[in-house]
Order: sequence, then C-alpha cells, then structure tokens
Amino acid sequence: MERGYWIRSKPLYDSLVWKQHATGHVVIAEGEGGIAVLKLFQQMCPREPIKLLFADDTSATKKYADIITKLVPEGLQVCESGEAVLAALREQLPDCLMGTQFYVAGSEAFIWAVIEELKVYGVQDRNVEKELSGTLARSVYCVHCKTTDKDVHHSIHQCSGCGRHLFVRDHFSRRLGAYMGVMVDAEEPGNIPAAEEIYP
Amino acid sequence: MNMAKNLAFKQETFRDDYTYSNSAEAIRRFPFPFAEDEYMYSVNIEQHNGGAPGSVFEHAIDVDEHYVAECADRALVLEDDPLRYIALPHMMDAQWDMVELVMDSLSTDYPEQFKLTKDGDNWHWINKPLGIDQKFVFGDESTLPMQPFEFVGRQVQGDWIILDQRDDDLFADMGIVTSQADWSMAFDAGMSFKEWHGPVPQANELGIFDRALKYLLHLQYGSPVRRLNWTMTVNPRLDTSPENYPLWGPDNVSVTPENVGDKVHLRVELQALFRLPRSNAIAFSVRGYLASVNELATYPRWAKRLRRVLTNLHPDLSEYKGLDFYRQMVIDHLAPMDDGTELELGTHPE
Amino acid sequence: MSVLNVKVAEVEQVTEVVKHFTLVQENGEPLPRFSGGSHVVVSMDINGRIHRNPYSLMGSTANTDSYHISVRKQENSRGGSVYMHEQVKPGSTLQITYPTNLFAISKLGRRHILIAGGIGITPFMSQISDLNRLGYDYELHYAYRSPEHAAFREQLQEMCGDRVHFYVDSEDERLDIPDLLSHQPLGTHVYICGPVPMVKALHLHAKNLGWPDNHVHSEEFTAPPSGDEFTVELALSGMEVTVPGDMSMLEAMEEAGAEPPFLCRGGACGRCELEVVSCDGVIMHNDHYLSDHEKAEGRSIMPCVSRAKCSKLVVNL
Repeated sequence: MERGYWIRSKPLYDSLVWKQHATGHVVIAEGEGGIAVLKLFQQMCPREPIKLLFADDTSATKKYADIITKLVPEGLQVCESGEAVLAALREQLPDCLMGTQFYVAGSEAFIWAVIEELKVYGVQDRNVEKELSGTLARSVYCVHCKTTDKDVHHSIHQCSGCGRHLFVRDHFSRRLGAYMGVMVDAEEPGNIPAAEEIYP
Repeated sequence: MNMAKNLAFKQETFRDDYTYSNSAEAIRRFPFPFAEDEYMYSVNIEQHNGGAPGSVFEHAIDVDEHYVAECADRALVLEDDPLRYIALPHMMDAQWDMVELVMDSLSTDYPEQFKLTKDGDNWHWINKPLGIDQKFVFGDESTLPMQPFEFVGRQVQGDWIILDQRDDDLFADMGIVTSQADWSMAFDAGMSFKEWHGPVPQANELGIFDRALKYLLHLQYGSPVRRLNWTMTVNPRLDTSPENYPLWGPDNVSVTPENVGDKVHLRVELQALFRLPRSNAIAFSVRGYLASVNELATYPRWAKRLRRVLTNLHPDLSEYKGLDFYRQMVIDHLAPMDDGTELELGTHPE
Repeated sequence: MSVLNVKVAEVEQVTEVVKHFTLVQENGEPLPRFSGGSHVVVSMDINGRIHRNPYSLMGSTANTDSYHISVRKQENSRGGSVYMHEQVKPGSTLQITYPTNLFAISKLGRRHILIAGGIGITPFMSQISDLNRLGYDYELHYAYRSPEHAAFREQLQEMCGDRVHFYVDSEDERLDIPDLLSHQPLGTHVYICGPVPMVKALHLHAKNLGWPDNHVHSEEFTAPPSGDEFTVELALSGMEVTVPGDMSMLEAMEEAGAEPPFLCRGGACGRCELEVVSCDGVIMHNDHYLSDHEKAEGRSIMPCVSRAKCSKLVVNL
C-alpha cells in the first residue's frame, strides 16, 4: 500500500532566528528545545520585549532551566512541565498584539501542541518559527481507530488503541499534529515486516 | 429527460455479498476514460456545463440507477464512522451554498424525482427516491435535522470536498467522503492543496499541480469544470478508505485468472469543480463509476483499449494505483478479445 | 466565460465625480449570488471598440435582485469611466461577467480592519454586509478628500454604527496607519483599497510592525497605461497583432479575434499571464501579480495592463 510518495505534507523545521520586524517576541520551548533557546539567545537580541516560557523534560537527565535562568534574566517563566508551558501560553495570548513573533522549540508533538494553542488566536503555523530539537520521534495517528500515540521511534508501530500494527506513512496532518498510521498487514494478515528504529 | 423519467433504482450492495452490477444502459453510458492506447497523467480539464443527453456529463450532478443504493451505503459508512463528515467552523456559508447547489441542480434536472419550492427563505424539499420531505428556513441551521451540508451530502452520489480559498491556496476544510480511493478526510481535513492532493508520480515534476492550483484559484461561479481520473478496485466496493483497509485489503490478493473478469473493476472518477457563490469556496465532487472488466468487455472496442492501456502503463503509475498484483491477469484475460486492429481515437463504446 | 446581460435600472449622482449604477438582469431574473469584495467586468462598446473595466459590487450580498457599482469619473482615462458617466443612462444595456472575488475576507481572522481611500470604499460595502451577517468583529476607516467627496457616508453610518471612522483630508483629519496597526490583537487582518501611495504605505508599515504578509490584503486595479505602438506575434496561432499606443495588449488581441483568457483586467489576478517567447526591447510591467524577480526575468507578461517598448514581442498563445 505504501508507495513512498507522501512527502509534500511533511513540515520543514529550521533553526530559530530572531525576526527583524516585531512588536514583541514569545519563545516557547520544552526539554531539548532548551538548546535551541540557548542558541537563539546567543544571537543579537531584538529591542522589543521578549517572553520565554520553558520547561525541562522531567524524565530526561539533561536539564536546561538553570543555565537558561542565568542567560535570560528578563521575561523568563520556568514551568513544571510541557503542559504547564501550554497553560502559561494560554494566559499570555489574550494580551499579545499583532506583530508578536512566536518561536517554538522541542519535540514535534510539543511544537504542534503549541501551534494548536496559537491557532485559537488566529496565528497560522506558517507564521511561527519552529525548531525540532532532540528526538525525531513521531506522533502517529491510527487511521483505523483514531488513537494518536506519541513518541513513536519505529517504522512499524503497534497502536495502543486497537492493537493493529501500523506502517507510519510520511504524510503529516498539521491539524492533528501527527503522521498517518495504516495497518501494515491488511492484505496478508500476520505478515508484519520487522520494525526498525528510524525516528531516533 | 426521458432517461430521468425512466430512472429505476436498483437494490444492491457495495460490501459483503456485493450484488452491485450495471444494466446494459449503465454500461453504455459508463465514462470510459481512455481515448488512446496509452495513458499519460494529465489535468485534462474541460467545461462542465452540460453534455450529451443520457451521458454522465449531461447534468451538473448525475443521478443514475445506483442512486438509492449508493446513498444507503453512505449512510452505513457514516453510522460506523461519523468522522467521514467534517466541516470546520468557518465553513457555514459554504454549507448553505451546497444546499443550494444540490437542491437547485437535482430539482431542475430530475423534476420527477426531486422537488424544491422556495418562498423567500422558506424552502420545501422533496426527495422521492429516498422518501425525504423537509421544510426548512434557508440560512437557519436549527430548522434541519443535521448540519446543512451533511443533510444534502447524504442525498448525492460521490464524495464532496469543499475547499476554502485564502492566501492564494485552497484548503480542504469540509467534506463528506465515504467512497474514496485510499485517502482519509478525517486525516486530511484542513490541508492545503499541495499537502492534501494525492502525490501522483511524474505530476509534480511536470508542474501539473502548480498549474492546476492557479487555474482553480480563478475558477468562476457559473463556469464549473470537470476532468476524469481512474483507478481499479477489486470487488465493487465504494468504501476503499484507509480507515477500512483491514476490510478490503485482503480482497486485493483474492484475484485469480478465473475470477478476474468479474472481480476487478475499473473505477472512473468524474471530478467536477464548482465555485460557490456566498462563501467563495470551491466544491470538488468526486463521483466514482464502477464497471467490471467483463461488463466493459461487452464492447469489444473497450476490451481492446483497456488491454492496451494496461499493457503500456508506466510501472510507477501501476504501483501508485495499486494494480501490480492483478494487472497482468486483467491483460491476459482480455488478450483473446484483442485482435490487434487499430482503434480510432475516442472513448465511445462502439 | 459566462456573461450576464444587464440593464441599467437607475443612475444616481453620488458626488460631483461619482455615479452609482443599479443593474438588473435583462431577462428579469435575479442576478447570481456573490461574496463580499467581489467585482464584475463591464464591457462597453465605445465607437466600435470594446472596453472592459472592473468594478466592485457594493450592494448587499443578501439581495441579488440588482447589482450596484459605482464609477469615479477619471478625466485622463482612456474613456471607460467617462463613457459610464456620459453615455450610460437608465435603460442602457451592458454586458458584465459573473462576479469574481479577489478581495475576500479571511474567514480565519478574528478581527478585520478595513481601510478605504476615496472610491476605494466600494468593495467594502459588500464586505460589510457579509461581516454584519456573520457577526464578525470589524472596523472601517474611510478617508476622503473633502466633505463634497463623502460618497455613501450616511449609508455607511447606518450599516456600521460606531464601527466606522471618517477622515476628511480638507479638514486636516488624517488616518494614522502605524498607530492603528500597532495596537491590534492577534489574529487581526487588515484590508485596504485606495490610491497607490496609501496602499504602499500600509504594506510598508505592516511589514515594519511584523505583521505576516497573509494578514495584509489589498485590492488594486490598474487602468491599462498607454504607451508606444508595438507588434505582438502569437506563436501558436501565427497571428500578428499591432497594439496601438492607446490600447492595451489584451484589447488589441481581442479586437484581432484572438481569445486570450482574462479575469480582472486590472493586473491583479494573474489569469491572463502569457509566456514570453522573445522580445526585442523591454517589457513594461504594470501589474501587481508578478514578483519583482519574475518581472526582471521577463518570461511572462500580463497583457491586461502591461505592454512592451519594442518592435516585436512573441508570446505563446
């Protein structure tokens, strides 16, 4: 079933760079996104006010909050978790004006969770700077039972909702923040290729 | 008109026992897509403002002998999986545009079957084949039993995807999709033209999508267009969705030289595009017509043509359309019917 | 292209230089529905030469018994607006295209700022009827030269209530665009229709304040500028057409019997784009469609408003 042509929907990520024109800047990052934040603040900082919302990945050994606190004295809010970052962002957004530039760094799942929040306020994903940090793990949407599983590292993934083995297509939905997973052995049940770790 | 008056709707299924078949008349009007012995992907867009009487192009929305059965199959799919219908919140104007397009077209083109009476915004809709009699206020959602687009979407054949136009692009922000060739509305909702459009081998390189998008952005109200696309399906199954791939996937490997003629169907999509007036959105209708290889082969010209097209098909396209498993079996099945005589240009059956 | 045959039902002198035309379909049927911000192209037969000008539809989108367009008399123009003012009377018949919308409200916007300069108010009149109907958050800022030029002021007050703000140039009232743009909430879209310097200023200020491009919408129709006579060769049909100085390339090709595609005829939409095979001089690009880069490359031309300073231009038509 997989024909290998699904590439046009795959998002492109870049390194965070300050935007030249703005009325303000909001940087939102989680976990390994801390590295992107450090790189960003090594660039010449813009004159406009900057807000930075950050949470370390509680399960990871590497932490960035301390070093970020030293580097970024103003406008920094360190949160407990990625969820808390989203909650803090939700509180900020009603006061943000047009011309506010948004910068997001972290896992792909985090990036698209932030964009869902921004969309509510009419901010479109194409106008948000995005840097994918650390893991290449994918969120996978099971097209059969509609469960989304996070942190998928393998080419074949067993769905936590329906138990089917899914082939992860290179087809991405920005609205769902996930790649499409389609049953791999539908034509010949039980014929499941070996799973390879391809999204480290 | 005669055709419409004589419409007799068949009771048949597109799943389980697959009782679907075409009458001789339905085969005759089948939109056979191959004018030449070789198939090349192209956009081949033409005006959709009427066609030969009796043909599938005659009316904006074609209603044929499979109407009642197809609507019943759609209802089954929706009952099982309500997410086959999606309308993002900013599409309400487009929903009413669709109500107008469907009801105006059907009542004008098939007055024996469908009747629409308008008194200002008070509309009265009668759909005789499906036994629907509904009075409602145009523009007032609360006067219909469900969302306006779902209401009419359940009363037409084929899939409908409604594209919102903004930022010089088109977004698949609404759709009712129950008979698709392996793509998912629930997954693709909200995607831009290029994200969403099936990635066709060779087409991207040729810049076909860039040109098609530009053309569609300029599509005018009152000047709808159409094109044909095709693939093949094992069994007359409408719902070949990725959602239900576990159900139809095994069919692909069930083809044998003995059953190929009856099991393998040519699936032709009549794709029509209409600019919608209030919303400035574009309605994209994908109406699938199914005919088995044996049904098509009742016309020797089509048997020969189909064999040659499949023989000459580019391997990438064969793979993309999912024909690899049984393509050679179809070619072999048709071989005795092809004497090699030259066929004149054109898609006509005789 | 589908056309509509219409009859002028009413002509109203709105200001010294603006006339408002009410059009009804000749066969008495209602006109097609349209969305706010749409325009039609009106064909005029002026001394045997067909002129086609785009005009915004300004009536309510809810009522299509008639269409409403307004025409500002441009004394130095090629005659289209003068013809509309002097020759078109109640009872006159005209041919118009179906409505096309190149200036639609972005439905994902959370707030909409409309800015009009002078006759640029017209597309907003139909947009406002949509915005009101949909209950969207909007503001209209309307700048004009002097009290005598206050076209549709009362009607707008009625439609918009306290959402409309007027700026009268002669009374030293100025719209401060940077100030207006600097305090808008996220998700705001801005739309402008007016004189070229005003449109350019808006784009510049919006960019400097960090507004994304796709939140800034403008509609500009250019009248085809005159120039030197040149010859166009249509490579596919082998036709050769002389473009006189006072005619657009598109009009000259049409008069010669070719049927090139077109939509807005004001250099905005890109529908009439033609591939340039060769040109032994320079192309004078006047459209808003091609990027500066594409204009410099010279591989395309918009014949509705652009022309060439050359002896021969060859296009792929």
